Amino acid sequence: MEVVIQRDSFPQLLEKLNRYNIWLPRKNGDYWEFKLSRGKESLDKKYTNTKLSPKKFVLPQTETLFQITEGENGKFNIDEKQKKDSLDIVFGIRPCDGVALSHLDKVFLNSFKDPYYSKKRDNTVFIGLACETPPFENCSCTTMGESPFSTKGLDILLKDIGDRYIVEYITDKGKKLFSGFPNLFGKITTKDKESLEKIKKESNKKIKKRVEDLSETTKKLDIMFDSDLWFHESQSCINCGICTYLCPSCHCFDINDEQLSKKPLNVKRVRTWDNCQFPIFTMHSSGHNPRPDKQSRYRRRIYHKFSYFYKTEGEHLCTGCGRCSNYCPAGINIFETLQKVAEYE
Amino acid sequence: MVHIEDIKKEAKRLLKEKKIKYLIGYKRGTNGLTALPTFIKEPEDTDELIWEASCIQNLSRYLVEEKKEQLKNKAENTLPVGIIAKACDTRSIAVLLQEKFLERKDIYIIGVSCEYGGVIDQKKIKKKFRGKKPEKVIFDKTNNLLIGTKFGNIKVPAEEILAERCIECKSTFPLLCDDVFGENVKRKISEHFNSIKEIEELPAESRWEFWHGHLEKCIRCFACRSVCPMCFCTECVVDPIELAVTNESTAREKAEKVKWIERSTTATDNIIFQLVRTLHLAGRCIDCGECERVCPVDIPIRLLNKKMEKTALEKFGYESGFDINMPSLISNFKDEDPQDFIR
Amino acid sequence: MEQYEPRIIAFLCKWCSSAGSDLAGVSRMKYPPNIIPITVMCSGSVSPLYVLSAFRNGADGVLISGCHPGDCHYIKGNFYARRKILLLTELLNYIGMDEKRFKMSWVSAAEGAKFTELAKDFVEEIRFLGPQNKLIRGN
Repeated sequence: MEVVIQRDSFPQLLEKLNRYNIWLPRKNGDYWEFKLSRGKESLDKKYTNTKLSPKKFVLPQTETLFQITEGENGKFNIDEKQKKDSLDIVFGIRPCDGVALSHLDKVFLNSFKDPYYSKKRDNTVFIGLACETPPFENCSCTTMGESPFSTKGLDILLKDIGDRYIVEYITDKGKKLFSGFPNLFGKITTKDKESLEKIKKESNKKIKKRVEDLSETTKKLDIMFDSDLWFHESQSCINCGICTYLCPSCHCFDINDEQLSKKPLNVKRVRTWDNCQFPIFTMHSSGHNPRPDKQSRYRRRIYHKFSYFYKTEGEHLCTGCGRCSNYCPAGINIFETLQKVAEYE
Repeated sequence: MVHIEDIKKEAKRLLKEKKIKYLIGYKRGTNGLTALPTFIKEPEDTDELIWEASCIQNLSRYLVEEKKEQLKNKAENTLPVGIIAKACDTRSIAVLLQEKFLERKDIYIIGVSCEYGGVIDQKKIKKKFRGKKPEKVIFDKTNNLLIGTKFGNIKVPAEEILAERCIECKSTFPLLCDDVFGENVKRKISEHFNSIKEIEELPAESRWEFWHGHLEKCIRCFACRSVCPMCFCTECVVDPIELAVTNESTAREKAEKVKWIERSTTATDNIIFQLVRTLHLAGRCIDCGECERVCPVDIPIRLLNKKMEKTALEKFGYESGFDINMPSLISNFKDEDPQDFIR
Repeated sequence: MEQYEPRIIAFLCKWCSSAGSDLAGVSRMKYPPNIIPITVMCSGSVSPLYVLSAFRNGADGVLISGCHPGDCHYIKGNFYARRKILLLTELLNYIGMDEKRFKMSWVSAAEGAKFTELAKDFVEEIRFLGPQNKLIRGN
């Protein structure tokens, strides 16, 4: 279902929602990030996309799973840290990041339902913002078979058509959120639909397709595990974690116990992001490391995204947002690698 | 003037005559203006080499990686590795030689003088040339840079787009080189420690707010550590304990490893990580500015290192990267070192 | 209201400062119990990480004390310490930590009185500043 909201009424909408935590993209120095809303605000026209992906709303970098504290009488109190019931509303998720959320759902909600993830997922409304122009040079959602108007993983999608947004409800959760104030929304006219179609067409045209045939890449990966290509592609890699930490789909984590005090005992178990590009990621306690060099680590990243995940879930674990390629210190471009793989003989 | 054709010719000769194993240089970037590192093995591939103000990276990091690989495989190095190095890059090689991590015979340095310029700052370029898609940067003798774009060349004063460290550069001429391209010119755009002056003059509370505000953003991708040529430890204080474990380690040793900071990204632990990193680089950092360039959350890491550089110079008269026979800063002392802070 | 009692970690070198604090004890000179001594082999062996770790684990102040220049049991350990600690002091000051929370001193085995004096002054100074909350773990 689609309705229309005027751009000018957007601050009013935020005001009506102010009992929830509202997150809006805001500029922090040179880059965008999601910040809590300060009240009457509107979506910045200049907004491109956030540098850090919105996965932090459902999979924070550091998340306490539970905490054990020792009481005065020697009894232990276990705090399960799952009390959060307040609703978070995130505005301005780009469709590629929405697709990434649907990937995370596949990981965390499929065969095993992760209670921490699912609680956060249920208590967050993701409101997307379609791209009328590609936010970055390296954007390429079309390569991954998505579009700048994709609705996957989102609850609501806003489509900017100049002075107003077309609001598309995708889930019931999204529909319920705005149902309380119908006077802010108007009916969609045929003229709106026409201008939307025009914008859609142009936007799709503006996004370059970086890999000609991705299915070819996936096929080739089966036969090139031992290829020299991995050495050459990863030669300039410096083993940092920018690509995976900025990636909206990467979801590897580590669980640690951290002691805050010995007496009285105060320990917490935390889940933190982990990173397959660090040498220690696969280090065994025997001292053996099955992925000892950067070529095997880079290969792992590509294989996980375009071969293993594709085989189990039928989708590539990449949304084409381009963050890894934009911010790689050594300028390694994932799309170029994929193209080279596709052309591999 | 540095002519890229001369460098290419020399590179070709070295590779043809099998004087070097391979050459680490710069090639045209595919994503924006910044040049990319390239590793050239065949003489005919030298055509892709470029030299201009977009050659930002400090390639000596890859010498460290090469050395680590060698140590791991216990392989004998037969031929030296060639590297194209700017003045600051050669200083970082000098520190690595001073600390005996690298051996002089293992490297072949093709030094290139920055002359009147230096390298660009990606962020400044992005701000200034949004939407204009700059394609190349050319030096000019009069402290101006020419930026080539689709709409023709645009002239910009150097300090508007040069990286901060190049504006404060001590010497634009490389040292320790086997080959040198470009002239040795004296140029000074700004005082050496201009960038930290502003922070130093703030009251203590504001300084704390500044650094706390920046460091709490840290996502621990460790790019600053990974990109630094001086960070070559096999064990880092911030890594989980397993890294120091070898085949010979006992269970007791594993269990008793000290955990200096936790995995949770708390502001305190981020600050401690950065402080330790800075202290480890005191008297070693040669201000190549790579740590700050790669930081995905724009923490001004360089300003921390700069403070240590200033302290080393003012209090101990020590400058890193100029003399490979000098003992390093903290493995040495003088009787007259300041001690007025000690009671 | 209970009076605030600061916690101060003191890294004392085994040969001079630790002996100096012992001398203060056997001579019945009183110094505040807020000083928690940790004996190290030499002031030169104190890594800056020890200091940061002490702050992280709740110290309100940190004291490093070694032999007078020229008296080091290992001949030059305290000279190295002097350089390292100056760098750390400058850096802590630069990021806005209160510089008064971190001190270095020379105390010989005969200077029980100096140690007592020093401890008293330091504790009073920290008591005035209040608890250290900038580098506490978990924050």
